[in-house]
Amino acid sequence: MIALVPGLLPTCTAKQPQVKGCTSGSRKNVGCMFLSLRTTMRLLTHNMLTSHVKGVTNGYPLKLQAENIKVMSVDFNPEFVARMIPKLEWQALVQAAESIGHLGDLPRELVPEYESNEEFLKMAHHVLMEVEVIEGNLECPETGRKFPIKNGIPNMLLNEDEV
Amino acid sequence: MAAPMDQESCAVKTKLTKSEKKAYKKQNKARQTLLRHEGISTSSEATKHLVVANAGLSNGVHREELWRLFQTLGDLQDIVMVTGKPYAFVSYADQQSAAAAYAAFNGRMLKSPEELQQPNVTFYLNHIEKVPSQRVAGLDLPPGLRLVEDFVSPACAARLMEGLGWSTDNQQQTDAEQALKHRRVKHFGYEFRYDNNNVDKDKPLPGGLPDWCSPVIDKMMSEGHIKHRPDQITVNQYQPGQGIPPHVDTHSAFEDEISSLSLGGQTVMDFKHPSGKRVPVVLPARSLLVMSGEARYLWTHGIIPRKLDPVPVKGQEESITLARREVRTSFTFRKIRHTPCDCKYPCQCDSQLQQTGPSLPRTEGEAGQLEQQHVHQVYEDIASHFSSTRHSPWPRVVDFLKTEPVGALVVDVGCGNGKYLGANKDVYSLGNDRSSGLANICRDRQLEVFVCDAMSVPVRTGAVDAAISIAVIHHFCTQERRLKAVKELARLLKPGGRALIYVWAFEQEYKNVKSNYLKDTKEHQNGDVGDKSSTRPTQEQQGASLPIHVNRTSFKTQDMLVPWHFRDGAKKQQRGSQPGLQVPSNSGREKNPERDTRDCTEETNLDRNSEQNSDKPLEVGNHKKQDSEEENVKSCSGACASDCQQSQDEPVYHRFYHVFKDGELEELCNSVPGVSVVDRYYDKGNWCVVIQKCL
Repeated sequence: MIALVPGLLPTCTAKQPQVKGCTSGSRKNVGCMFLSLRTTMRLLTHNMLTSHVKGVTNGYPLKLQAENIKVMSVDFNPEFVARMIPKLEWQALVQAAESIGHLGDLPRELVPEYESNEEFLKMAHHVLMEVEVIEGNLECPETGRKFPIKNGIPNMLLNEDEV
Repeated sequence: MAAPMDQESCAVKTKLTKSEKKAYKKQNKARQTLLRHEGISTSSEATKHLVVANAGLSNGVHREELWRLFQTLGDLQDIVMVTGKPYAFVSYADQQSAAAAYAAFNGRMLKSPEELQQPNVTFYLNHIEKVPSQRVAGLDLPPGLRLVEDFVSPACAARLMEGLGWSTDNQQQTDAEQALKHRRVKHFGYEFRYDNNNVDKDKPLPGGLPDWCSPVIDKMMSEGHIKHRPDQITVNQYQPGQGIPPHVDTHSAFEDEISSLSLGGQTVMDFKHPSGKRVPVVLPARSLLVMSGEARYLWTHGIIPRKLDPVPVKGQEESITLARREVRTSFTFRKIRHTPCDCKYPCQCDSQLQQTGPSLPRTEGEAGQLEQQHVHQVYEDIASHFSSTRHSPWPRVVDFLKTEPVGALVVDVGCGNGKYLGANKDVYSLGNDRSSGLANICRDRQLEVFVCDAMSVPVRTGAVDAAISIAVIHHFCTQERRLKAVKELARLLKPGGRALIYVWAFEQEYKNVKSNYLKDTKEHQNGDVGDKSSTRPTQEQQGASLPIHVNRTSFKTQDMLVPWHFRDGAKKQQRGSQPGLQVPSNSGREKNPERDTRDCTEETNLDRNSEQNSDKPLEVGNHKKQDSEEENVKSCSGACASDCQQSQDEPVYHRFYHVFKDGELEELCNSVPGVSVVDRYYDKGNWCVVIQKCL
């Protein structure tokens, strides 16, 4: 059963050492109890987020500045990835992955008939689901407003004058 | 002396009669009682001191009576009686006298009324080494309390009574004079209203204060007992056995100093601090009592309705005896207050409580503040405790999520502790919450979340296949903001995408079935006699304080504050934030029914369909925010005084809620352009709507 689901959660038993081996999470204010847990923001999430500062017309995509990145292994589900791709802004994904140095061999343009291209889907899966930001910023491209990512949680709250 | 038990026979006989055995047993029991109450042991040897069981103040025995009885047997030195105790201590100058008293009284029923007023009293005696020293009562008066003895002369007292014109028999009463249940009352200057415990400040009584009280007021002023000249007098007449319940004079009604002149018989006034500390104060005839500061604002005062008062013996303050009450007339002098009270005791202060209680917002800024204080801050403060009470997803919400196919993108706006984020493992679930405390809890559970406000969700327009908003929109305090939240939810949906919205229902009884929230009421409140009126003020108009809901009662209003109580053992999160409450609750209930743990079982029956669940008692499906009320039924304590104490160790938080009436959520959704309502239902005390984005 577990193998069939796309594995949005890392399978802790097998992947645990890898997570522990990742040193990026050990500095800053990340408490010890979090170290063995996945506390990051995925690039798939980044692809959905936009700046919502009042009056902004061109708030997408948010510029990604990562101080800590973690790469984790997540079960690959080709159907899940193939169905997710049409919902993505492909260029935004490429830009974000490139800005943090994790584009790898992912094509800059969507390839035709990607649904049946397992190699492509695996690369997309890796960038979407396995590259994660622990600490950093999301920056509004129009206003330069920075939204901090701490402990893997983007804080997108606006101040009163920004609503 | 026809004593049933004779000294000689007691000493000589080896075989005890039935009544002797009984007496022996009782004596033993008295010995144990003393050990338990006072921590002192009786002596097997004869001593100078005796403890006499059944001769205490609580047995209705007077010190004078004991003195009369015990002095016949030797050189009686002292008798010590302790308030509320069923024994007395008797001390002689020598052992022989004590032994004689022992022989004369132990196990003997006293003759009434020749020996004792009280019938059927049998004394049981034991020797003790030493009489335990009694705490000296009455020396430590509450701060701000002063007692001036012999303030007026008997002649002056007589003139006052004459001026008052009350005879002892009940004559016809004028308007400002009423016979209350417990006493007779007359007002001068202003009428004190017992319906609101205040005075009509713009309706002074004709005639003002009578001339015959001027000398007394002049004396109070000239001798410096009070600073401000009183303009209101209330006269109370208490028959023996009458009293006045403990109270604090309404802060906003009167200025600081309140003085009371006692005429006729003496009485004992009980002062009580919110911490429970009690100080009985003897008010002798013709004495003046002045309450100011803490004694006036924080301590309650009252007179216990009874005919006998335990009072210290004159000149022997360590000994206490009973004093019979006589008719007492008290003159209370007060000065009307014309500005709100700004005392240092806000928990007893009606002026300051009105200010601290939030009201419905009039501006957008106020709305934001109310939600910040009574939604956002509260969830930050209670995040971990809240999360620990939220285990079980609600089946029909899970059903909705399960209809989404593999690879769907689902957003949970206001995801709380994320209990729905893993409900369908085939979809990409993205959660968000206003509370970073709750977002952190989601993170600990390896869920994908971000922090944002539900009115402004930073997700691309039309990006999501489905969205849920469970127990969120009822936390917005204006119609505009609730509409904004639904519009934002609709904006996220792709064409054809659907969103499920749950809000708490005003109607907690639907189709003759009570919601679990109410159903558990009976269970928990069994024997609870507190008043069930749900809210403090009932007004809902703007500017009035928001009512505070009584947990597990039906709703009386749509907008209110709902208390959240930490259960025993649950600790506030250490986030350095202020508790979001400081609104005292006046629910008038003292009982704290513990929550029913069955409601938060870990068992979830996600695989069951809703039909199976619909007629099943709600043991599994729990709602993430409103089941708080089901599980958190420790009710507020009645008096705000005890809230003051309670807030130290058991903080109470108040969350704002707007509960929806039948059809209201649907109407709200219908007013959002670009979506249509495709389903609506009532589920476990919630109104639920599914909206769909138009293609």
